[in-house]
Amino acid sequence: MEKGDKLLALILVVIFIFAIGQYTFVSISKVKRTIIIRSDGEIVEQIPLNETTEVITTIKSKEGAVTMQVKNGKVHIIESTCHDKLCIKQGWISKTGESIVCLPNRISISITGEEKNEIDSITY
Amino acid sequence: MNKKRNIVTIAGWIFVVCLIIFSFINKAEKPPATAELYAMDTIVNIKIYGDNKETILKEVIKKIEEINSYVDSFSPNSDIYKINKNSGIKNVTVHPETVAIIEKAMELAHNTNGAFNPLITPLSQIWGFRDKNYRIPSEEEIKDALNLTNYNDIVISKNTVFLKKEGEALDLGGIAKGYTLDCLKEILDKMDGERALINNGGNILLYGTPPGKQWKIGIKNPREDGIIGTLNIEGTKFISTSGDYERFFTKDNKRYCHLINPFNGYPADKIFSVTVVSDKGYYGDALSTAFFIIGKNEALQDVKKFDVDIVVIDSDLNVFCGEELKDSLILENGKG
Repeated sequence: MEKGDKLLALILVVIFIFAIGQYTFVSISKVKRTIIIRSDGEIVEQIPLNETTEVITTIKSKEGAVTMQVKNGKVHIIESTCHDKLCIKQGWISKTGESIVCLPNRISISITGEEKNEIDSITY
Repeated sequence: MNKKRNIVTIAGWIFVVCLIIFSFINKAEKPPATAELYAMDTIVNIKIYGDNKETILKEVIKKIEEINSYVDSFSPNSDIYKINKNSGIKNVTVHPETVAIIEKAMELAHNTNGAFNPLITPLSQIWGFRDKNYRIPSEEEIKDALNLTNYNDIVISKNTVFLKKEGEALDLGGIAKGYTLDCLKEILDKMDGERALINNGGNILLYGTPPGKQWKIGIKNPREDGIIGTLNIEGTKFISTSGDYERFFTKDNKRYCHLINPFNGYPADKIFSVTVVSDKGYYGDALSTAFFIIGKNEALQDVKKFDVDIVVIDSDLNVFCGEELKDSLILENGKG
């Protein structure tokens, strides 16, 4: 076996491992649901969402703050500095494509993930 | 010699396997360029797919911010603010884009016989929807405000706009979001966009064909968490919804929503929501408002005239839609 062959074999093996790795990564990341939290339009936190996730966290923005709770695979807002509290009134969300927005505070919480019957967006 | 051949064969196979795997990876969707921004008193979510997604995203954001700066009636620098401030006094020179939106608003006002009314502001004001100081106005106040809602008082001449009576005030909130989506579609056309989804405060532009062939768009349940049904839509379309759940106040168990009937001056209450599927963004936006005012039966009669499709949710949560959408609408609970 010549030097060139060895090099070729090595390169191919590296590509192979890389390809498998990426493919596996892509498939795994598709199954998960993730809570994406944005403040003033920028992503500030991402939390994997499953039935056992239990989180209470406060998100701040230039305009104010909201506190959200994650429980039993669902998310809702429990406190907000905003005037109308529509974000709290909106209640729980759990499905991919759903989101809660606090307009006055410019904070959004949305659920993403690739599920079989995932919706692309919601008209309201 | 034999060993060498084996290595070459194995290397060859590895290569083939790699090619297959790579072709799979390429089939898996590349993530879109995304952005979330706040404009026109609402939230805008943008997803752009394809090779030049970043360049398109930049143009899209620029356009949204540009139109927002013209139509934001709360900002003293906006065209609309200036027009309203000078109502009954003098005409105001504005940006051609502002004129274009006002012309579209007048077109829709005429075509809906006034159900869509861009001069609704004095009525929104007395019900407290402008300053969020919600209240029930007196009959007298309503009568006075109604006198300031004649959309024929909007005078456009070249790039100037004039409102004839003092106190008249434009509100393009019911059309500017949809109009903006029309402009964004133009950008996508010009820049060879492949696919995009832009949700401008519930008004959606679907551009191109998604991998699953159809877009799945949820319609908000007007009374509960989540959605009431899903629309499966093919290709490029605009979707807009008007509902009584977005901005409202409750007094003595009665709900008063922000969409005010320009014919009697009271918040509209015939239906819970209406969703419009159309080929023009400004149509969908303004017609969803107009249909919400006139109610189910008249709206269903009007769909042919405007060449749009609609889904109506009445005040018993029954869902109605025209023939065209029957096969595209899937309800969450099978009711309808």
